[in-house]
Amino acid sequence: MGLASWLLAGIRLPLIVGAAALILYAVCYANLYDLRVLTLCGVYALFVLGFQFVFGHAGAVSLAQATFFGIGGYITGILATRFGFLFPVTFPLSIAGPALLAVIIGVPVLKLEEHYFSLATLGIGLVVLLLANQWSDVTGGANGLSGIPPIEIAGFAVADRRSVLWFVWATVAIGCLLAHQITRGLLGHAYHLMREDPAAASSVGLNIAELRFGAFVLSAAYGGAAGALMAHVIHVVSPENLDLSLMVTCLTMTVIGGRTQIAGAILGAGMIVYLREWFRVLENYYMIAYGTVALATLIAAPYGLVGALERLRSLLFGTTAVVRPPLIAQPLLLCARPAPSRDAEALLRVDDIALAFGGVKALDGVSLSCRPGEVVGLIGPNGSGKTTLLNVISGLYSCERGKVVFLGHDITAEPAYAIARLGITRTFQHIHLAEDLSVLDNIAVARAGVDGANLLEALVTLGRDRRLDTARGLAMAAAERLGIAHVLMEPCGRLPYGTRRRVEVARALVAAPKVLLLDEPAAGLNEQEQRDLAERIRGFAADGVTVLVVEHNLVFLAALAERLICLDRGKVIASGLPDAVRREPAVIEAYLGLDPDVPELALAESP
Amino acid sequence: MTFVQLAVNGVALGAAYALVALGFVFIVNATSAVNFAHGDLVMAGGYVAVGLGSLATLPMILMLPLVAAIMFVVGIAVALVAYFPLIDRPPATVFISTLLCGIVLQNLFLVLFGPQARAAPPLIKSGTVHLGAIEISVQALGTLAVAAALIGLQYLMFARTQIGRRLRATAQDRQMAQAIGIRASAVIACTFGAGTALAGVAGALLANQFFVYPTGGIPLSVYAYMAVVVGGWGSIAGAVLGAMLISIFQVVVSAYVSYAVATGLLYFVLLLVFFFRPQGIFGELVQRRV
Amino acid sequence: MIVGLCLMAGASNVASAADAYLPIVMPITGFLSVEGGSQRNGAVMALEQAPGGMKVDFPVFDTGTSATGAATALDKALSSQKAIAAAVTVFGTEMVAMMPIAAEYKVPLLTISGLAKITESGNPYIFRFLPNDREIKVAHARYIVEVMKKKKIALISDTTAYGQGGFALLQEDFGKLGTTPVFEDNSIAPDTKDMSPLLAKVKASGADVIALHSVATPMTLITKQLKSSGLNIPIVNSSSIVEPTATALFEPAELAGVCAETPSAPEARPTPAIKAWADAYLKRFNLEPDGLALGQYDGVMMALTLMAHGVKTPEDLRAALQKETYQGVAMTYKSNGHGDLSHDADIVCWDGTSRIPKIVGHYAGEQLILK
Repeated sequence: MGLASWLLAGIRLPLIVGAAALILYAVCYANLYDLRVLTLCGVYALFVLGFQFVFGHAGAVSLAQATFFGIGGYITGILATRFGFLFPVTFPLSIAGPALLAVIIGVPVLKLEEHYFSLATLGIGLVVLLLANQWSDVTGGANGLSGIPPIEIAGFAVADRRSVLWFVWATVAIGCLLAHQITRGLLGHAYHLMREDPAAASSVGLNIAELRFGAFVLSAAYGGAAGALMAHVIHVVSPENLDLSLMVTCLTMTVIGGRTQIAGAILGAGMIVYLREWFRVLENYYMIAYGTVALATLIAAPYGLVGALERLRSLLFGTTAVVRPPLIAQPLLLCARPAPSRDAEALLRVDDIALAFGGVKALDGVSLSCRPGEVVGLIGPNGSGKTTLLNVISGLYSCERGKVVFLGHDITAEPAYAIARLGITRTFQHIHLAEDLSVLDNIAVARAGVDGANLLEALVTLGRDRRLDTARGLAMAAAERLGIAHVLMEPCGRLPYGTRRRVEVARALVAAPKVLLLDEPAAGLNEQEQRDLAERIRGFAADGVTVLVVEHNLVFLAALAERLICLDRGKVIASGLPDAVRREPAVIEAYLGLDPDVPELALAESP
Repeated sequence: MTFVQLAVNGVALGAAYALVALGFVFIVNATSAVNFAHGDLVMAGGYVAVGLGSLATLPMILMLPLVAAIMFVVGIAVALVAYFPLIDRPPATVFISTLLCGIVLQNLFLVLFGPQARAAPPLIKSGTVHLGAIEISVQALGTLAVAAALIGLQYLMFARTQIGRRLRATAQDRQMAQAIGIRASAVIACTFGAGTALAGVAGALLANQFFVYPTGGIPLSVYAYMAVVVGGWGSIAGAVLGAMLISIFQVVVSAYVSYAVATGLLYFVLLLVFFFRPQGIFGELVQRRV
Repeated sequence: MIVGLCLMAGASNVASAADAYLPIVMPITGFLSVEGGSQRNGAVMALEQAPGGMKVDFPVFDTGTSATGAATALDKALSSQKAIAAAVTVFGTEMVAMMPIAAEYKVPLLTISGLAKITESGNPYIFRFLPNDREIKVAHARYIVEVMKKKKIALISDTTAYGQGGFALLQEDFGKLGTTPVFEDNSIAPDTKDMSPLLAKVKASGADVIALHSVATPMTLITKQLKSSGLNIPIVNSSSIVEPTATALFEPAELAGVCAETPSAPEARPTPAIKAWADAYLKRFNLEPDGLALGQYDGVMMALTLMAHGVKTPEDLRAALQKETYQGVAMTYKSNGHGDLSHDADIVCWDGTSRIPKIVGHYAGEQLILK
């Protein structure tokens, strides 16, 4: 893309012009107070930028961001005023301290569900606030620490307001660059899927716990950096740097600016800081005006100011057509030969699995096995445990008894993402795609886990994200195999059901799995689509992929499955060649009630 | 002071907090939204009581229904401003909108009533009563009675009546409820109203002995949040029990160690609850269906 | 945002027709809005009565009871026009954040904050018109030990900056007076409601007097619950309870035997000058005055008087404030060289018949210093 088209995309141009105007203003017209306010905007922008990792990208409502900010400030304050350390020492430590705390509390806290996670982070924040208030000898108590010296590096003091302003914003620029590095590529899409649909993310091999942890620690690091800068700007640190009202400010800035966009952090911080300043003259009515305007903005701009600006732009100037990135489809090699193992016959074996929900036995001693390249159909009436079995195999549920063996290894206790990376992928009964991502990226994200995309690598890779390109290339190949290459750049939310179903299958396929678990893939498809899908699945099997298909639709399975297994109330009641299983009295009884002489089954017999 | 006296004091305060937590969990159940303006709504109830008290010198027990009615309307107003416009957004957005509402409320109090603490008239009268060796204020006894009555009333309403069933249905699945003809928006608005009315009554009860002031609501929201988590997210019995437990814990423990240590211990115990029994007392661990 | 910035820039450049500019930067919202409102009233009253017919521009900037907010508010106040001085917050932590800004703009700050270190850090721009906490706590301690002759003291404070500061100073002073408190607790959260655990501990310690230093609301609760708990020991409070907004929450009988230290007690109208001032305050604001308003009034009036006598620049004002003596309404003000101009404190007690206390003790000058 040329520079011109890059500039004109989205709201880049107005943002750049706005930034240039502000810089001009800061250089030429601003008085001391204006410089102070712009500096504060920068500090808060960095604060919010960090918060975007855990709240925006990872989708977890952490209420500890203010705590990390305050700890960063206190580390700087304590080291500078009590020990006389200078910026090159205090700043890295102010980042490391909160990050270390995040590492320690992150592991237990991130395991908790939504509300509990939020309250646990709030609780930790309250404990730290208590400590800051009471441990007067170290923290200065409720009065805090004062006389924090200005930033000094190698003998140069960054003391006057203008220098402080440039320094803070330079730090913000670095922070933005890092954030961009992390989220622009495959990892960014991984976060997107993870926050929209954790189950789908695990099933494509994304280690959610690790992703969340990384985001949490990053947030803490940024928060600490911002807190340290604040200490140098106002020369005071006190418990108010840690408290709930600062956390509220952070949340407000993030949601109003835009949760995941870098420009959103800056806009959000700027808007809230300036709102407060403009309304300060209203005395008693100051906070009422601020609260009302902030609330109105929240309601009017649900996806933040950035989202609102983008919407405005597309209203005025129309949406720019999304250009397909210049990529070549990579060859998608589905396994031709599975790796030799001790148990050469069964690639996947399930032994005596049992799982109960409350009093209901969903699975009651199920055993089966699949040979390499087989297509096995799993049938049974509603509630027989078919999906539950898939969930156990793919690692979303833990069974109470029994084991799952894959390629000779016991994978019963393995988490879902690990199972996906080992080579078992799946689709879902209800479609689990990221609505806002394009078809291409929805499929490509499945490579993130298996290819080992991680934070450190994303940080150091300059320029284009190679991994994203490779993943997209493979995604194009997978899309072609499912016949959806013509809608590659469409966001999934707008596509018809049948197409989305195929996107999901393509996503499961792009990781070149050895075993593909399909959960009612024909549901909701018309006859033509069903025939098409069955043919394609036969194609994968011919290339060596083992397929286990859960289905109600016996016509669909008739053309596809080499073997059928029938479940009823958690037990295997029949297993073998399709014709034989279909005629089995137990199967007919399970499906229909009693009478074997029923026309419906006769229909199913003829392919 | 004996352990029993301290426990009684804890229960007396806990009764009012139980009403706060009850109102909070109502709103959580109807909307799965955390209403962080709840503490400020408690203060609002207190201010309404103060206002009514300056208009007529009647014992608060007679004015409570009026307080509840006014706060019911306030609750619906909050729902209209902070909840309904954001109904299809991620839940964190409602969290923030309620926080902002709280800020507006706090500053409205400041403008309307001034920054200083105000006291509301007593429920029946001031003074203390001696029950054997235990001393308890008339206000605290009245609070216990009102709280017990309201908790009993809500149990009857929810568990037994048609209204209760409709509320529960809407809470569990709004779209389904609408599909079978329940007017979900009206139900949700009423739940907000009822939760706020409870908060308001708690505020009116607390305002006599413990005063109302503009910034008094903030710790109450945190308190309610904690009580609901300890009791089990969404459980009504849990909310009441959680509030009681926290209050008793605080009062009893701080008689033996300093307040700071007692508060720290409370947070510590809370964090332990998370890690060993995250579903709280009455909550359920749910495996998600895919 | 660009439009707003232009508006702001335009507004701040509007020329003022006043003779001088003396902004008010105080907590109007937030946790200390009662105290902030009182001192704001005092400042406003003085500025409205500026001697010599001076017209002074005095916009009010809210600090929001926050250090960051205070720094920005003072910045805004001092950058919009050339100020000769500023009347600023009572909140110690905000003062600390404002101090570097005063030094940067070289403008003297007129405050009533009691936090000791604001005049003990070498910043020549800070002038306080209520006694330094360090001094007034001596009055508090001496009254208990020397006049009430109590030996078994329960020392209590809340967790606010004000509370913690006073606690440390009282500890020190009791030590210098030769007693150690039998009970100490500086961890009462200001929003605590049930004080019975605290009172249980006080009772168990065998204390015969309570020395309490906290903000008004917990102080009111402790005092009230002390009375109703049957623990019959006297309580000597810090000045927070002397605010009329605090005594309004008591029945007069509940205040019997309660005492407090206070820089001045204008509600008691002890002298004709104070009576005249208090009546004028009541008429202007429809509220009973308190010592905070009076102190701030005197401070601003001292600056205005100096300005009426020819002081024109902030630097001259600063020098004059350090040097001159001023006869104010509450007391005579003279700097000790560090910016502490008030060296007078009263002890007041209530007798249970009215909400207005009587002055039972007075300490001044050297009496407020313990070696």
